[in-house]
Amino acid sequence: MTIVTGEADARPRLQPARSGLLREIWLHRADYAYVLPAIVVMLIVIAYPIYYTIELSFFKTPPGLQLRDKTFNGIDNYTAILTSDVFWRVTWNTMVWTVASTFIAFVLGFATALALHRDFIGRGILRAVLIIPWVISAVAASYIWKWIYHSDFGIIGAVLVGLGLTDRPPNFIDSVGTVLPSLIVVNIWREFPFAMIMMMAGLQTVPDQLLRAATVDGANAWQRFWHVTFPHLRNVSTVTILLLAVANFNSFIIPWIMTGGGPSNASHIWITHIYELAFGRQRWGVASAYSVLLFVILMTLGYFYVRALSGDERKEGGA
Amino acid sequence: MTRITLGGAVLRGAVSTALLASLMSTSALAEPPVDLSKWSPEYVRSIAGTQDFDMAADCAKVTPLDYKGRLTFWYQGVFEGDPDLLRQYYKDFFETFRKTYPNIQLEEQALTYNDLLDKFRTALLGNAAPMAVRLQILGGTEFASKGYLEPLKPEDVGYSTEDFWPGAMKAVTWEGVTYGIPTNNETMAFIWNADIFKRAGLDPDKAPATWDDVVKYSKQIHDKLGIAGYGLVARKNAGNTPYRFMPQLWAYGGGVFDEATANPTYGEVELGSAQSKAALQASYDMYVRDKSVPVSALTNQQADNQPLFVGGQLGMMISHPSDYNVMLDLQKKATGADKDKAQTVIDNMRYGLIPTGPDGKRAVVFGGSNIHILKPEYVEGGKVDEPAAKALICMWTSPEWSLKMAYAGSNPGNLNGFKTKWMKQRLDSIKFLDVTTSMLPYGIPFPALPQAPEIMNIIVPDMLQNALTGAMTVDQAADDAAKKVKDLMDGGL
Repeated sequence: MTIVTGEADARPRLQPARSGLLREIWLHRADYAYVLPAIVVMLIVIAYPIYYTIELSFFKTPPGLQLRDKTFNGIDNYTAILTSDVFWRVTWNTMVWTVASTFIAFVLGFATALALHRDFIGRGILRAVLIIPWVISAVAASYIWKWIYHSDFGIIGAVLVGLGLTDRPPNFIDSVGTVLPSLIVVNIWREFPFAMIMMMAGLQTVPDQLLRAATVDGANAWQRFWHVTFPHLRNVSTVTILLLAVANFNSFIIPWIMTGGGPSNASHIWITHIYELAFGRQRWGVASAYSVLLFVILMTLGYFYVRALSGDERKEGGA
Repeated sequence: MTRITLGGAVLRGAVSTALLASLMSTSALAEPPVDLSKWSPEYVRSIAGTQDFDMAADCAKVTPLDYKGRLTFWYQGVFEGDPDLLRQYYKDFFETFRKTYPNIQLEEQALTYNDLLDKFRTALLGNAAPMAVRLQILGGTEFASKGYLEPLKPEDVGYSTEDFWPGAMKAVTWEGVTYGIPTNNETMAFIWNADIFKRAGLDPDKAPATWDDVVKYSKQIHDKLGIAGYGLVARKNAGNTPYRFMPQLWAYGGGVFDEATANPTYGEVELGSAQSKAALQASYDMYVRDKSVPVSALTNQQADNQPLFVGGQLGMMISHPSDYNVMLDLQKKATGADKDKAQTVIDNMRYGLIPTGPDGKRAVVFGGSNIHILKPEYVEGGKVDEPAAKALICMWTSPEWSLKMAYAGSNPGNLNGFKTKWMKQRLDSIKFLDVTTSMLPYGIPFPALPQAPEIMNIIVPDMLQNALTGAMTVDQAADDAAKKVKDLMDGGL
């Protein structure tokens, strides 16, 4: 009892949570001093631009005026965006681009990782070759693919015409119907090696003895994959998918260089549209409003990314 | 090579009302160094090499040659579609400047036509612009109207306003104040491959007279030979597109506003007019109905058409006289059978005047570039070394360098350039130059409005793409573009 009473007496002397936080900071003041320069830099190069973009999204910035002559217009930019046909079209393009690129790049990367996980002659060379699309400059890749797809003299068209499969080269990037899928193919080609590397790393963590035990227990290849391998890869898969999704939302180089968002806006995604609004048309206010919306979406994805990562840590900590 | 014969009637026609309307509208009382009323290839030849100029002595009066200073300078430089000859002249210019002004520390940066405006706008927002900039003709008004530029007129660097094309001076004038000096002025011409014409059953030495003929010829070439007839270009955010579509639009009697008239007011939007729609219909007919132009036109630029032309896969296009030199460069780099093929194309290159519209209107974009000085508050470091900037501007806009820097593809901004010995050399060495100088009188400047870059680089190409992809009908695309221009002029968001 006395012990209990003693504890009860001691409790009021504990600092409240806020004080506790401040005390923790004080206790670790040297650590904070070390990271302070990094925090200051981040505030300048990240926090201020975010604040300024949000602020600018509430202003009208006509192309005939300097930015300092902007006028406050409340939520008009947001209203204009959400009621514009182009917004919904660009949003649809962005969703198709992001979901298709992410999903297919992941599946392809995962499949390749599984194939390369087995030991066979030439595995190292094949692995190196498959990484090339990822390490090649996106600008160079875009120009190469632009010529591969060229609607008049592209190599694909030439081969198809040469084989007598078609009279005219197929129209890949000069048609509103085919341009986006064509760009997605290029994007997948560039991104699947990233998924492959991530999943190959993940596969190294799957315990061999579990797979052997499953084999002894009579599990077939699919059952071993589904019940042993895949559960071990769930977190790395989540992280890979989130990273791919964020990269695809922000993807600029391929659509901009290959088509500039055209023809007829058919390959504009949010990021290229924002760039055109801001730097081509100088609608800084509207472009900022677009950017804020994109920021919210990306932060949401970022939240899940961090949660996935910290989930990993918690599990590891728990183990 | 057969030199094309521009009939006397055609040449005299070049010296017509359009010449005076477009070129002399701002300084009717002034005395230019050349007689614009006599403008013709013969006249240009007659004045070439008649006067000597001493650039260093002239510029020394503006900025002493021993002046010590520092200058940051951005300019629209040579790009992949330019001939090697021009590359060499740019190199020579900066070397000469450094020799002439050894104590001025020059930090120059070349940017391509399509990148310059975006980068410059971004730099201005961060007060990180260069002290001086050479912009395409389309950009001057935008930055002048926003207050970024210092007033700057030819007299400030030792020349006279009358030394420059009056039409070009319009593009550097905003609300009566001059904010820059033209460095070069260009008008393009119509180029075709005589061999392709012949094989397609067309007169190999006769350019299509009208834009309706271009549509017919393009179809005939495509139907007979299976190659592209006309080099249509419709990419967005690329300077090539308006330079090739606007002559067609104006020839049909259309326009964005009334910019094709002698004294434009830019009051009414004309993109939705029947004439503008007729011009758009001609492009539609070639691209969609006849499929007689490159399918890649929607994503291509002119630099992509050049290899098609030199490969004998394109019958005709609008371009600079410099394309002849570009073709020579490409031919030199080709090997084996490609080399012979390229030579055949070069031997069969013909230049002529750009076709007229149904009512006989002929038009071409009066293009070029201007050079400007920035206000100090928008410049990195907050200071502008004005004497250094003026030294460079004096040199670039001098008769000598204004000609040399436009040697193969354009014309000197300073009219005295036409009198130099280099002009004489140029006439002898650059084929077809007389055709493009003959087009100068038909030159129409882009609207001198701050909104012009968005109209020309985005709205007009969008209109073309909307019609050519079938996203909209021709009427809808033209009306949509007209509405966008109107919204833009009304302030928009």
